[in-house]
Amino acid sequence: MAAIKNQIRELRAAREMTQQDLADRVGVTRQTIIAMEQDRYSPSLETAFKVALTLGVGIEQCFQYDAQGKR
Amino acid sequence: MAALSYREKTLYASLVVEIVVYLPYFFLHGGNSLNKVVGMIGAILALQILLQGLIALITRNRMTDERDKLIELRGYRAGYLTFATLMLLGLGMLWAHAAAGRLHIDGRMMGLHFLSVFFGMLVIADITKTATQIVSYRKAL
Repeated sequence: MAAIKNQIRELRAAREMTQQDLADRVGVTRQTIIAMEQDRYSPSLETAFKVALTLGVGIEQCFQYDAQGKR
Repeated sequence: MAALSYREKTLYASLVVEIVVYLPYFFLHGGNSLNKVVGMIGAILALQILLQGLIALITRNRMTDERDKLIELRGYRAGYLTFATLMLLGLGMLWAHAAAGRLHIDGRMMGLHFLSVFFGMLVIADITKTATQIVSYRKAL
């Protein structure tokens, strides 16, 4: 289980935004968005803020730290 | 499986070129020669330019991001560790053979022989680097 969890998929779906839309707005590739949604990649703090900002939520609503999870 | 990114496509192309050119060079000929080394480097360059050009032509989005850079660094680290390990092993074997008096290399061919071994280590490190990057794209970071 990853240490950093996120709600990107749910938040994105609620806004009817595609992975490519989000990737373009954040400035990353679609593959990175896919990896984040599958908890296969923990983004940098800057990218995490950009994702949260793009989805219109606070960073803690978008990303959560799980102390029991492993990196 | 998600569609491959530009970086992934170029990595697969690099791996194919490396294997297609290097494997026959190291396993399908008997002796070393400068012409073969030069020919191989020429073949690598030509094939890489051709394939990377083709990939660039058919890929609209050629963007790279922080994850690509992180994976690239992982690949270089794996390649460096492989190279350092092979160098240590090679030097150790050389020392062991010399100490046992079993080192018989023709003086005229010594330079080319060592160059070939050194080049072989570089090739293995390069393939390790590319393979690590490909695997990293499929694994959690």
